[in-house]
Amino acid sequence: MIRIAAVGDIHMGPDSRGLLRPAFETLPECADLLLLAGDLTRHGTPEEARVVAQEVRDLGVPVVAVLGNHDHHDDKPDEVTAILRDVGAHVLEGQGTVVESGGSRIGVAGTKGFGGGFVGRCAGEFGEPVMKEFVRYSRRRADALRAALERLGEEGCDARIALTHYSPVPETLAGEPLEIYPFLGSYLLAEAIDTAGADLAVHGHAHAGSEHGMTSGGVRVRNVAQPVIGRAFHVYHLPVRDHATTGAAAQAAR
Amino acid sequence: MSTHRPEHPGGSEPAQNLDYRIAHLQDRLASGELGELGVRVEARGQTVLLTGTVPSAPCREEILRTVHEELAGVAVHSDLVVTETSSPDHAEELA
Repeated sequence: MIRIAAVGDIHMGPDSRGLLRPAFETLPECADLLLLAGDLTRHGTPEEARVVAQEVRDLGVPVVAVLGNHDHHDDKPDEVTAILRDVGAHVLEGQGTVVESGGSRIGVAGTKGFGGGFVGRCAGEFGEPVMKEFVRYSRRRADALRAALERLGEEGCDARIALTHYSPVPETLAGEPLEIYPFLGSYLLAEAIDTAGADLAVHGHAHAGSEHGMTSGGVRVRNVAQPVIGRAFHVYHLPVRDHATTGAAAQAAR
Repeated sequence: MSTHRPEHPGGSEPAQNLDYRIAHLQDRLASGELGELGVRVEARGQTVLLTGTVPSAPCREEILRTVHEELAGVAVHSDLVVTETSSPDHAEELA
């Protein structure tokens, strides 16, 4: 069994220094890794990123993160990423990483992702340049997620997890106003996850959404935005499968 | 035939229109010091209701200060809660 702890949208700033640390220090007892699903800061400033870094350094479990839209607000995502990497966190944008923990090889593919909406109610690559770029930007992130998941499949992990900030499915947005769904996620992420295959998809971003959802391909989706889970993190126990079921053989079997 | 045209055919002064005041408040919460997009602000009758979860108690105080400043003269009801930071008491088993 693989024990996955996850939280997103912790929105830390100088006034929240140390708030999550007591709970995070219990992680080695209950989890094999910690996933951070973006919006770790309020404005994406280096000062806020350093608060997050202190919160997650030397936790005793690997930390894998993606950034969120808030972490981009100050236009310094590379600096935020570097500050988190300095304390050992794996920060992913269109990449995958394999962490070995609790005797398992856990593959995580991550991207911030972006919006655009869901099938039948989504933006299209049409019209004004800014509109086309909006959709292309979202598509590039989904394509990179798919490629990263496929590479992890070839590496023979015990489990593969898709980590995003934006949501791949509308179910986990339930509770948010319908009108803003296109700003909360994109079906392109779900299509990438279903095409490449994954054991679990974890995202944040939708504070008023719901925890549970599933892609149309049958991959479980969990919205771990901190306001949704109402805790410092949630833990998911994932059964370990044969390597073949997470890789190319699973694709061949479909 | 009357030649009278109201100064504001749409009704009230734009500056007094509660819808727009709420929209401007949300812009200010998002783009200002707080970077707060998680607070829902809704007109309820003659009052305004705030709901959502915020990261800390000081953050909530700052939001309320901003709201009262931006919506001066409007009764505001706040149901903002501060996020819970305790460890979970159980795990979910994914079969």
